[in-house]
Amino acid sequence: MNPVIPAPVPVPLPAPAWLVQALLVFTFILHLLLMNLLVGGGVMLALSSYLGRRDPRHRDLARRVVRVMPPVVAFTITMGVAPLLFLQLLYGQFFYTSSVLIAWAWLAVVLLLVVAYYGIYWFNFQQEALGRRAFWVMLATALILVRIMMTYNQNMSFLERPQDFYPRFLETPVGNYLGSFDAGTMARFAHFLTAALAVGGLGLVLLARAWREEAPELAHWARRYGVRWFMAGTGIEFLVGLWFLFSLPAEIRNSFLGADTRATAILVVAVVLAVLAMVTAPRSPVAGAVAIVGTISLMAVIRHLVRIARLRPYFDPHALPVQGQWVVFAIFVILLLVGLATVGWMLYRFFRPASAREGFAATRHTSR
Amino acid sequence: MNYPVWEPPLLGGGLVIGIIAILHVFVSHFAVGGGLFLPITERKAYRENNPALLEYVKSHSTFFVLVVLVFGAVSGVGIWWAIGLVNPEATATLIHVFVWGWAIEWVFFLVEIAAAFIYYYGWDRLDARTHLLVGWIYFAAAWLSLFVINGILAFMLTPGKWLETPSFAAAFFNPGMFPSCLIRTAVSVALAGVYALVTAATIRDVALRIEVVRYAAKWVLAGTLVIPFAGLWYIAVLPPMARELPMGAAPAVTILTGLSIFFSLLVVTFTYFGPYQHPRYFNLTFAFLIAVLALSVTGVTEWVREAVRKPYIIYDYMYANTLRVADVPRVRQQGVLSAARWVHQHTVDMEKPEVSGREVFRVECASCHTVDGYNSIRFAVKGWSAEMIDYLLLHLNELKGFMPPMVGTDAERRALRAWLLSLNPQPAMREPAHPGVQAEVPTADRAGATKP
Repeated sequence: MNPVIPAPVPVPLPAPAWLVQALLVFTFILHLLLMNLLVGGGVMLALSSYLGRRDPRHRDLARRVVRVMPPVVAFTITMGVAPLLFLQLLYGQFFYTSSVLIAWAWLAVVLLLVVAYYGIYWFNFQQEALGRRAFWVMLATALILVRIMMTYNQNMSFLERPQDFYPRFLETPVGNYLGSFDAGTMARFAHFLTAALAVGGLGLVLLARAWREEAPELAHWARRYGVRWFMAGTGIEFLVGLWFLFSLPAEIRNSFLGADTRATAILVVAVVLAVLAMVTAPRSPVAGAVAIVGTISLMAVIRHLVRIARLRPYFDPHALPVQGQWVVFAIFVILLLVGLATVGWMLYRFFRPASAREGFAATRHTSR
Repeated sequence: MNYPVWEPPLLGGGLVIGIIAILHVFVSHFAVGGGLFLPITERKAYRENNPALLEYVKSHSTFFVLVVLVFGAVSGVGIWWAIGLVNPEATATLIHVFVWGWAIEWVFFLVEIAAAFIYYYGWDRLDARTHLLVGWIYFAAAWLSLFVINGILAFMLTPGKWLETPSFAAAFFNPGMFPSCLIRTAVSVALAGVYALVTAATIRDVALRIEVVRYAAKWVLAGTLVIPFAGLWYIAVLPPMARELPMGAAPAVTILTGLSIFFSLLVVTFTYFGPYQHPRYFNLTFAFLIAVLALSVTGVTEWVREAVRKPYIIYDYMYANTLRVADVPRVRQQGVLSAARWVHQHTVDMEKPEVSGREVFRVECASCHTVDGYNSIRFAVKGWSAEMIDYLLLHLNELKGFMPPMVGTDAERRALRAWLLSLNPQPAMREPAHPGVQAEVPTADRAGATKP
């Protein structure tokens, strides 16, 4: 039976498909990096808040890490908006269908996100007052974050299998399907989760650098602790990645194993960079971070290539009619540059050394 | 028609969007107005050399961050989620027309969120001038994001020249864009005052509380003063039908329009005679009362704004059930079950027409009606005869101007009629007024009539 797929909207694309794809992948990489810090950080916080009952180092670690989490959540969400926008523009007929079929689970993401977000603020503001209960708050928050990640994995896997849409439609009332728990989807989920734990560890190493003056002992310990997370996570990721690779249909898998030179080269470079990250991270976390950002970026490209390959029998985005809105696009690019410059300026003023800020302190009229 | 239809029981898709949207609007306008309130009040504190007022602004900024950055941001995403689930075809169309508009709005979000955090964490790190400047950057970005999304929202009701010349500029600078933007800006200022009243009521220092309560009340009054004039301007550019619905053409819309005005007057009256005239006696309960009234205004006004767009979701272009106006002749000829992709049967089952009728309902009606919940169809056709239902279905858009025409073949219409008849036990008829009509109703309908 031919799969039932909605027709694309009869309005031309406002930009050529390659540009939308490039923006989709690029903005997704930014989202992915932050999301890894959020989920990895959330799990580490839950563990540290438990171990912190006995070990003051973990308690201190949790207290310091959770302080940076609210902006991480906010920017994970914001950075997620852009790729989802471009995904809906180009692959709407797949995305909306898979989302509608799992409507309740998909809508629950929003509610869960609010709960997790307030959970982080609660932990941040009330860690001491919560006492032993702090662990339960953080555990629930971390589990919610992981569940949200899983729902995303399920939806993004499902949209690549339009042949499954109509059977699910016939089986279950629209919206009640909970998403697939098949080996392929779970391998993908495990792949994302392990990556998040590894990147979360490296994020901690980088964050601990800021504590070196104020709490040198803790900073030193946190660095070693974070490196252990990163090494273990990345090591396990090689196995999980293989599992995921072998869960893909043979034709697509083979394209990454020699059949397609370009695809194979991207995978090889991504893996080499991951090895490089493991080698360099213990001595130079910054070099390790640069290498792992390279791996993550290439993995995002690979993910997109897999999506294109899986949808190829049903859809070619380059065949869609295009009527470029170039003036508005130019305004977008200009505003993006102005916006980034503005954010850069604000961050510069915020983070410049205290000595440079002293001069202005006298002009303040605060009561403190 | 193109996508599977999700039917959330009791609420229906429209109300799922509505609940999220009303809460979001109530918070997101505060995100803009509060963004103006913070730097203006901070500057006032510096100018008057009033450290107590500055302390208030600081604590208000914590409240602001917790409400706006968390609930405001996530509920905004929530609307996007909900419209994609309930109305994918319309969402996809809007994204095709406005993707760069949304991309621009996203840039403003980035700046807005960065500025909000730096403002909040920067109280003790930044000098006064820089801190204020960050506050102004926040407000500029927040208002600009409102400006962009407002153009897209207004487009749905007044697409204007886009219908003839489909360009981004024609779509964005649509007739409703500027008046709607003015209304939203005024609402933002008023809501900034409403939220400030809540935090002001908790100030312990009596003198400061009196000062801030009266000051916040002025924000509410200033904002609400502009709304009637901006509202009249907006009404002037609406399509004729959208003007008629609140004027009596649809009783529910008329009642809720009246409630919107009534609640607004209550907000103004309570604010004027309460916190403005007698700030000394103002307390948290009173603040919550005004906030609840303001939320009620938001709720009923948003409901009316959605209702007057009926029967369309994008005016004159796409009906509320996502059927494009241009596609009506084709679907009429082809049949709705045949044109729809996500149905269990593509032709009418003559043996069980009510089963096919349920399918027609799902595709054509479920975007607004539920079976037993909000805008219940069972209730709407209670006591109706086959003849009445048939006549209504044939003249749906003429008899009820806010409904799209029923599109489909005769067999599909009869199937829908059979299902609608099966929803309620038929009223006992002493004698058939038009025997011929009754004879036309298949026997299966009668059998279905006894089903719950």
